[in-house]
Amino acid sequence: MVQGKRSKFALLLALVALVALFAVACSGDDDDSGGSAGFTDAGYKTAGLDKARLITVDGDVPIGISSALTGDAAGLGKPIADSAETAGDGLTIKGHKIKWVREDDLCTPEGGPAAADRLVKGNVVAVVGPICSGGTRASLKIFDDAGITHISPSATAGDLSTPTRAEGPFVTFFRVPVLNADEAREQAKFATDTLKAKKAFVVFDTDDYGKDLSTQFQKYFKENGGTIVGTPAGYEKKTTDFKSIISSIKEAKPDVIYQAGFYAEATPFLQQLRGDADLKSIPYIGGDGIKNDELITGAKDAAEGAYLALPGTTGSQFETYKTKYASLFKGNADTATFGPEAYDAATALIKAIDKVAVDKGGKLEIDLKKVNEEIKNANFEGASGKITFGSDGNRAGAVVRFFKIQGGKYVQLEAGKK
Amino acid sequence: MTVLFLASAEFWADQFVNGLTTGSIYALIALGYTMVYGVLQLINFAHGEVFMVGAFAGYGVLVAFGGEDITGAMIALSILVAFIAAASASLGTALLIERIAYRPLRNAPRLAPLISAIGVSVFLSHLVDDGFLSGQSKFYPTIFPTGDVSLGPLAISYLQIFLIGSSLAMMSVLYWTVQRTKIGRSIRAVSESRDNAALMGIDVNRAIMVTFALGAIMAGFAGVLYGLFYSSIRGSMGFIPGVKAFTAAVLGGIGSIQGAVLGGFFLGLTETVGRELLNEIPGVNLPNQWKDVVAFSLLVIVLIFRPTGIFRQKETKRA
Repeated sequence: MVQGKRSKFALLLALVALVALFAVACSGDDDDSGGSAGFTDAGYKTAGLDKARLITVDGDVPIGISSALTGDAAGLGKPIADSAETAGDGLTIKGHKIKWVREDDLCTPEGGPAAADRLVKGNVVAVVGPICSGGTRASLKIFDDAGITHISPSATAGDLSTPTRAEGPFVTFFRVPVLNADEAREQAKFATDTLKAKKAFVVFDTDDYGKDLSTQFQKYFKENGGTIVGTPAGYEKKTTDFKSIISSIKEAKPDVIYQAGFYAEATPFLQQLRGDADLKSIPYIGGDGIKNDELITGAKDAAEGAYLALPGTTGSQFETYKTKYASLFKGNADTATFGPEAYDAATALIKAIDKVAVDKGGKLEIDLKKVNEEIKNANFEGASGKITFGSDGNRAGAVVRFFKIQGGKYVQLEAGKK
Repeated sequence: MTVLFLASAEFWADQFVNGLTTGSIYALIALGYTMVYGVLQLINFAHGEVFMVGAFAGYGVLVAFGGEDITGAMIALSILVAFIAAASASLGTALLIERIAYRPLRNAPRLAPLISAIGVSVFLSHLVDDGFLSGQSKFYPTIFPTGDVSLGPLAISYLQIFLIGSSLAMMSVLYWTVQRTKIGRSIRAVSESRDNAALMGIDVNRAIMVTFALGAIMAGFAGVLYGLFYSSIRGSMGFIPGVKAFTAAVLGGIGSIQGAVLGGFFLGLTETVGRELLNEIPGVNLPNQWKDVVAFSLLVIVLIFRPTGIFRQKETKRA
């Protein structure tokens, strides 16, 4: 869901912030109060980590956070940064405290690499972030060249794990969020297996998120033996007139209607859909952008019976995270989008560093290649469910939950039930 | 039908009614653009926001009446009051805009009031969206009786009948006012030549204000119809219908009342039926997101062959 928002204003803001941060970075070079860290070449030649380094830490262990701290996306970025720091509360790495190094990636393709560069020069051991797909795409190589492992809590674009380059995926890149492809695959499975649907009509928001999710859904729905009837109908944000699309739906006679978009447009769509006598009871499936309390408030009766998919789940560590996040940052874990994912990303890094760090007479020696390998072995219960990574760095065993609107509430469905 | 077309007769009937519905809204808003242009040669870009204000005023009335909890005659009464409130609110807004943003610039170069019109438009839509609603939409209560009337393949809902019928009635009233009343005659006189009209003893400012008022009443009325039919309203809701209605006015021949009405229906039908008709050509498959491409391509084609629009015969003579 997180894509870089680009407007002229954001661009201007990014430029101003870049200049400002550049000035700060230049003046603050010697301001390393938490201890000193130096590195030597370890000298191995492994794909993606061929310039890997041994970092020697004297004092606190620096871990980076690349998140949007100013600008349009700060509302998303601040809770993410705070949630990541929450994971370090009360923990030490072989007796050394953790020093969080925050850099502002602005959630933009310009801010991402700038923040990555500062983190690399700041000799951090590992990084949580960047938070947005655009910024992550532009930073992959910088982290890889430095051999620094980074885990994004929220970058969902599919191509981040399949970059177009001869060497293949970046081994230093991992991420926690459930991807659009996972959500779409589960939605298609729900449509064909649980609802026994054979013919689907697709409606989608024409932005990146809506296009990607709906295209993936069509692919999986067809793979499951279903047919896409009619022509998938796109609409722009702020559309309220869906009458023409609804006439096309009636003509195509589907047995399920699928929508990829946001609740602001799903509300009038459902109202007009359910206002048509022929389409009153046809099953409707929506995604994470639509599952919002505003949908029920706005569409009222028309929302009844709708199925909504929500990627991710609540893990056993969620309550711990919630309590600590509230006491440390006065944050509300229930509304912190990607907060649990950030907490888990930071936890994975701390666990891995703690495992591979070697005490050398009061100083810590950390092998970045070993940190990277240890992340691949991650296997623990986090705040967003079980954390394990596939060989492509994506989260393995992604969970997608289904809800049905009943009596004006979201009721979670048991697996395979409708 | 079925022999000629791949799609069913019901489908075409459905899309035709959809086109008429959208067209009614476009036409009502287009009247405001065309009349103001007629007397002032000004494109009142804030007219979409006048429409928006009407929609919110109507919403306020319907909620005050008790939203979805009312029945029977109260529904009719609440909708009537909503129309009156919307027309008044739109009228007030339009007159205020005219007084603050246009009248001081009446003798300025023509681009100046155009820019102040855009400024007012942006200001109003953001004031409502960001100032009052913090980006959220409001939803009209669904109170209009549901049900269809069937005529062969055509199934048309009560609300659609009401929407199209009342729009046509309002347009007729407007046409009558402009063509048959004294104030209507003064509007036409100002539109032909502002200076000559003034020399003949016509109160030009009054005629201009009445023009704004008539357009605003139509827009306020359209705002309530829009809310009742599409349910979702927000501060920026006036932008797209505004652009479409302006297009309709140009298409019909800006300055012409019949042209605005015809242009509105023409654009509404092109967006729905026009795109689907093209889809009947083998190998052509234009999805819904192409509707504006189809509509605006047609606009360009029409304007190439009739640069002054369908109804406008010649440029108004300037004194």
